[in-house]
Amino acid sequence: MALPLYERAINGDDDGLVRLTPAGAGAATLIPDRAPAAGEQYRFHFDMTKCIGCRSCEVACNEQNGNPAEIHWRRIGEIEGGTYPDTLRHYLSMGCNHCLDADCVKGCPVDAYTKDPVTGIVLHSAEACIGCQYCVWNCPYSVPQFNAERGVVGKCDMCHGRLTDGLEPACVNACPEAAIAIEIVDRTAWRIDYSSADSPGMPAAGHTISTTRITLPEDAVQTLQRVDAGRIRPEHAHLSLVVMTALMQAVAGTLVCALLRQGAGRGLLTALLGVTGVALNISVLHLGRPAYAWRALKMWRRSWLSREVLLFGLFFAALSAATAMAWLGAGAQWLSWMAAALGVAGVMASACIYLVAARPAWNMVHTPLDFLLSAALLGSMVTPLWTRTDGAGAAAGAAAGLWLANQAVRLVRLSRSERFEERASAGLLNTSGLREALIASLALVAMAGALSLRGDWMAAAVVALGGVLLSRYLFFVSVVPLNMALTFVRGGGR
Amino acid sequence: MTALARLKRALGIDTRQCDYTYERDARFGHVSSSRVAEKWVKTTCGYCSVGCGMLVGVKDDKAVAVRGNPEHPVNRGKLCPKGLSEHHILTAPGRAKTPLLRKNGTLTPVSWDEALDTMVERFAGVQQKYGADALGVVGTGQLLTEEFYTLGKLVQLGFRSRSYDGNTTLCMASAVSGYKLSFGSDGPPGSYADMETADVVMLIGANIADNHPILCHRLERDAERTLIVVDPRVTKTAMMADLHLAVKPRSDIALLNGMAHVLIRDGLIDSTYISQYTDGFHQYKEFVAEYTPERVAALTGLSEETIVRVARLYGKARAAFIGWTMGVNHSTQGAVTVAAINNLALITGNIGRAGASPFSITGQCNAMGTRESGFTSSLPGYRKFEKQADREELARLWGLDVERIPTARGLAYPDIIEAAVAGKVKALWFIATNPAVSFPNYSVLEQALRSVDFLVVQDGFHPTPTSDFADLVLPAAIWGEKEGTYTNSERRVSKVNRVVAAPGEARADFDIFLDLAERLGVREELYPGWTTTHDAYKEWQRVSAGRLCDYSGISWEQIEEESGVQWGGARLYEDGVFRHEGGRAKLYNVPCEPFVEQPTSEYPYVLNTGRTVEHWHTRTKTAKVQLLDTMAPYAWLEMNPVDARRLQLKPHDRVSVISRRGSVKNLELRITGIVAPGQVFMPFHFAETNSNLVTLGAFDPISREPNFKQCAVLVERFVTK
Repeated sequence: MALPLYERAINGDDDGLVRLTPAGAGAATLIPDRAPAAGEQYRFHFDMTKCIGCRSCEVACNEQNGNPAEIHWRRIGEIEGGTYPDTLRHYLSMGCNHCLDADCVKGCPVDAYTKDPVTGIVLHSAEACIGCQYCVWNCPYSVPQFNAERGVVGKCDMCHGRLTDGLEPACVNACPEAAIAIEIVDRTAWRIDYSSADSPGMPAAGHTISTTRITLPEDAVQTLQRVDAGRIRPEHAHLSLVVMTALMQAVAGTLVCALLRQGAGRGLLTALLGVTGVALNISVLHLGRPAYAWRALKMWRRSWLSREVLLFGLFFAALSAATAMAWLGAGAQWLSWMAAALGVAGVMASACIYLVAARPAWNMVHTPLDFLLSAALLGSMVTPLWTRTDGAGAAAGAAAGLWLANQAVRLVRLSRSERFEERASAGLLNTSGLREALIASLALVAMAGALSLRGDWMAAAVVALGGVLLSRYLFFVSVVPLNMALTFVRGGGR
Repeated sequence: MTALARLKRALGIDTRQCDYTYERDARFGHVSSSRVAEKWVKTTCGYCSVGCGMLVGVKDDKAVAVRGNPEHPVNRGKLCPKGLSEHHILTAPGRAKTPLLRKNGTLTPVSWDEALDTMVERFAGVQQKYGADALGVVGTGQLLTEEFYTLGKLVQLGFRSRSYDGNTTLCMASAVSGYKLSFGSDGPPGSYADMETADVVMLIGANIADNHPILCHRLERDAERTLIVVDPRVTKTAMMADLHLAVKPRSDIALLNGMAHVLIRDGLIDSTYISQYTDGFHQYKEFVAEYTPERVAALTGLSEETIVRVARLYGKARAAFIGWTMGVNHSTQGAVTVAAINNLALITGNIGRAGASPFSITGQCNAMGTRESGFTSSLPGYRKFEKQADREELARLWGLDVERIPTARGLAYPDIIEAAVAGKVKALWFIATNPAVSFPNYSVLEQALRSVDFLVVQDGFHPTPTSDFADLVLPAAIWGEKEGTYTNSERRVSKVNRVVAAPGEARADFDIFLDLAERLGVREELYPGWTTTHDAYKEWQRVSAGRLCDYSGISWEQIEEESGVQWGGARLYEDGVFRHEGGRAKLYNVPCEPFVEQPTSEYPYVLNTGRTVEHWHTRTKTAKVQLLDTMAPYAWLEMNPVDARRLQLKPHDRVSVISRRGSVKNLELRITGIVAPGQVFMPFHFAETNSNLVTLGAFDPISREPNFKQCAVLVERFVTK
């Protein structure tokens, strides 16, 4: 990726930024003839009344950026409504909306995103990116896309390299109907009234204050609906995260339970340290660029992902110290308590990662509850293997009951939700394969509760871990992200 | 990739950054380095007949990018998604690279010598035993005009078979026949520019937003112009219209006659034009008198007010334009529907003036080239088989005995197939076409392919569903690998240039034809001194001189300089002189008949077929362009919610479409108000779900074009067994 615009402006001798001379006839009306002034930025304008759904913009974008066929930084959506013959069918064309409050920028743990101060373009640096895909989860338009071939994310940069040369972005240039243009918007005024960013088939613009202005046909809002609603597919399972979150919750829960029972001996501490080491190493495999995992610490002031990495890192350090002290015979209970506090904080930070508006089925109180209750469940069933067991059965049984109750309430709320994405998540959980997995996960936890009441701790712990892993797997695959409306075939795949 | 490189990639130390850099292309500015060219070759798009000018970027002898030619008058720098990704076809997998001959049941690589010797020998054997016309040849609209001209002579004069036609009969034959009926000759009278000049544009059965997207910018919303779209389906194009007429399938003739009725009744006709330039007005007037708005309303499903309003819009227009494509042509009544369109233009004088024209929007990139030079449904240069003077003129130009020129047209495409089934055509040669997907009523076609003694398939790609049946596969060069001309819908002759070399042993069709002529011993007689397509062009210039399609003044150099030249100028018939004997156009009485296979209680739905913007024809090309294929990877069936409720079907259910002839299984159901209750629609591009398993083998008696657009079907839930 070339230098961000502002650097070129600051570094001086490139006057393209201020000149922005339109190249050739026709271009003049489609891109601004000046750079944005202070308080302004560039934005897309999409005129739905002109678009004929030819998809030239989509192909031109891939050609411009040399992207593989399965990645589309600009996408087309179909929206329909009305009754034959007064049927309405229209198209959406969308790249990045270069939002005023871009969630991709806020969430990024490595500061790979820049909201360019001059143009307002949301730029992404493939060099800085570690491929954690947190931006993919955060964007309500599913704009950033993970390029598995590269291990990093990529997105529309409004062809800023062309804009600085006074050339139209590829999509603007390709559109045979001149339906896409670049405009200048006053950020303050837009923050007050961004209503023309809203459109049928688009998530509400208010989440992140999309800057794209959309000209709608008359009567469009009442009638037009997305045509891809029936084609919801399971999301990526992120197996390394399934394992990491479940194990970290087990470790943190066990440490707390063991401390409460005065039983955090050196054997247990060593075991927990080993599991933590394994879990944290597995989590790194989630990244497109595991070698740069350490960079994830960078944005701890802003990103929950950074905070999770930081807290689990500190947890590992504290636990290591506590274990070492235990082996040295210098009992340092306070160190173990500190580790436990960091562990629980880490679990909470972990949960906060998933509280993103763009993924409604995650963005519920049930997510942190699930993470804490999973810690309690696993902790209460693992601890008795190492400590005394009086009263442990009741505690473990209660944890299992609460865990199940949380899951049940979540399912009911999802299926009765007014939000399409939440209902669709419930719908996914009711499809063949996932339904069986869901039943199995609930049954396993119930069984673990029963086993613990009987005092069969080894079996209870193993079965509970199985239930939590399965449930966490479902948590990842069944989430339905906010997205723009896509085409009927949703970009393909059988 | 080495183990070390793989490890670096897995760890993320390497992010393939080198594949994702940007550079400044000298001509087109900041772009992915992979699309930066060393040189740009000017050429014309090889998909549809809009005829967009483009520049193909070449680097290290590879095509790396495509750009619309900003100076080209047709597209002014714009391209559709197929054009924008066309360079990928030159590096696509699946190309035929070596001649393959079936030996002991398997296609085996052979030398060109063995391939062509065998071909000539086998064809000769069949022709000696069963007669010259027992060799059937089916061409295409995808070759160069120079190649069509060469092939026509080769088949008709070299192989001496009259069983020669093109896949253009599946496409534009009805327009050709309709023009001949009304004007005495083929030849689209107008230009694209007329769409911009006209104050009323009526599109009938033409979904240009999907099929000819680069024409749409000429119809941008404009207070001065009314766009009327006649289509039973709410197409993308219907959404562009000021007035969408959702007629019942195949009731367009009634609408056209009803409009004529109102025009005559309200005095909105051009009596001077009628009396000076047309024949048959009185009988026509009497005939359309029966097409009262009331009757037409019942036939079309439109309101009487709408019919009167549309007629008055057309009649009062300063200049009115009617464009059509396959909704009109793909019918047993296609040719006469074209005549009915021409009637309207003639009685209002909406022809031969700026903005005023009946206008067929053609399908393939060079369907026009084969219509003019091809020697299939007419002699080269729009000459008539049955006209002695035309035959004599050609014989003189070619230095041949006039007896060598056939006196009647041979079998048309569907009749060649039927003759093959009947055992009368015993050898078949398909060139750049894929009938196993594109020909209606697949089971009959399959029988034909299996019945012949020797089947040759000449194509750029192998395997294709058709080449699977072949006894001999000839690997051919494709668009971008050879030089010559295409002629587009508006008669614009454009240059197509060689960008890269053909892969493997693949050869230009032109070279294959000359080589065959050599082996037949007719090369010097038919192609004296020819070595390049330019030699063919020069002879074609002489042969077309003085004809309606006169290329004699259009040199290759001029075409390159001017980005294409229209033969006949901006429009034909400006002088009102038509090509019938006596120079007058004819008005025809065109009755509105119901389409052949009406729905019944057993087969209750009318199946309509059509295209999507992402694909071209049978996807032999666009399925190989990964980007296009991922955008529309499979077919679907559109059904109205009313019908879906009745059948208790849900969106995305898997369904089968069943007709009396066969069934298409396992289609994804799209429930949508785009189609009318009682009608269903599916795209025809996909071999995997081939719509021609169910379509009807009924053909226009005049043009021989198949009735692809309507047949009666049943829709059932698909159950995996």
